Amino acid sequence: MEQVAIQFVDLTLPNVVFLLLVGFIGGLVSGFIGSGGAFVLTPAMMSIGVSGVIAVASNICHKFPKALVGAYKRYKFGHVDIKLGLVMAVSAAVGVWIGADIQQHIKLSYGEAGSGLYVSSAFVIVLSIVGGFVLRDALIIYRSGNMHAEEQTSRLARWVQSIEIPGTMIHFKTANVRISVLFTVPLGLATGILAATIAVGGFIGVPGMMYVLGVSGLVASATELVIAFVMGLGGTIKYALHGLVDIRLALILLAGSLFGVQLGAIGTTFVKPYVIKVVMAAIMLIVAVSRALVIPVYLAQLGKMSLSVKTMALLKDVSFLFMIAALLTGALIIVGAMIRGHRESVPEPEPQQPALK
Amino acid sequence: MEKNKPYLKLFVSGFVSAFLYCLLFVYEKEVMEAFTRIDGLYPALPVLTALVFSFAHGAFTGYFWDVMGIRARRGKGGG
Repeated sequence: MEQVAIQFVDLTLPNVVFLLLVGFIGGLVSGFIGSGGAFVLTPAMMSIGVSGVIAVASNICHKFPKALVGAYKRYKFGHVDIKLGLVMAVSAAVGVWIGADIQQHIKLSYGEAGSGLYVSSAFVIVLSIVGGFVLRDALIIYRSGNMHAEEQTSRLARWVQSIEIPGTMIHFKTANVRISVLFTVPLGLATGILAATIAVGGFIGVPGMMYVLGVSGLVASATELVIAFVMGLGGTIKYALHGLVDIRLALILLAGSLFGVQLGAIGTTFVKPYVIKVVMAAIMLIVAVSRALVIPVYLAQLGKMSLSVKTMALLKDVSFLFMIAALLTGALIIVGAMIRGHRESVPEPEPQQPALK
Repeated sequence: MEKNKPYLKLFVSGFVSAFLYCLLFVYEKEVMEAFTRIDGLYPALPVLTALVFSFAHGAFTGYFWDVMGIRARRGKGGG
């Protein structure tokens, strides 16, 4: 990474309040589904005048302590498989390195617009396919009417669990699966590559753990926080070595997100398991629409089609609004499900016995 | 005031968290200068600071929801 001329923004009260709010909602979603928020936090910081690289660095510096607090909270609830998280994190770290290299190569070959087109296309393709699959699964569970039942293990996961490769088998106690590390490695790599590309590796990591390894949604979303912590810590060290972290931005985001991550973690104990899948699918599909909207902008910048400057600006604004809508939709579903879960858990008051005379 | 709610812990952790945030903004200029240096052990400052804030503010936010009466259901969740 090259050293850049660093311009740090002056913080105003409205900007601080805005960052606290976005941090809170991002934290709420992270505590609940294990990831998410990062795709909004970076553009949100850029919208108040923070340069791209500082926004990415400050976001990642707030991500690892948030993931640590979320992971600790959910560990206390018995949701976290630390061993699985660490095994996945090692390969995810290699994936981040590969993903960053691919990014760098595309940027050098096709410039800023080519890099933007690659990132947006990755968003649209990955999130549409995986988000659609997760939504389909959530709908099947919902329609079955058996929402309290243990989640069904997918056919692929049953096959993965049935493969015995001597010397590579690991038993993950909390996840309650015994699988070959040869299956976790590609999954971790994909998580890392996606994290380096679209900033949210969890969109591959969590569904991957659920549908490829056969881990429940609760354990997968909580274990993702361990992976996020390791990747976030590594990323922070990398950016801090170049003096790019604006610690004020990171700590303001953290001030809001720690309230959110704790609430999101508590929320997982109130809701039916399929709600995690609903939230994840909703966010992924809305973000896919958001990124699809800016693809014509990058194509125009690459000279592949023509668009007026006004239209490009409009598409970018609408895309950003869709991103915020994705996060808000996720947060509303979480809060709604928590309120319903809380009401269902509160016992009906005993009918008053008539006083004996 | 309910006796089983951690009001004292909330107050202490809230004080520590607020104190740390006050330090950050009172010494904003010095902090930004030191935290963006890339020589010696200076790059460790953002990492260590984020960890310290996460412990103090993380404890405060945990007690906050506890005092607000928003607590996890017993067991492994899942409704």
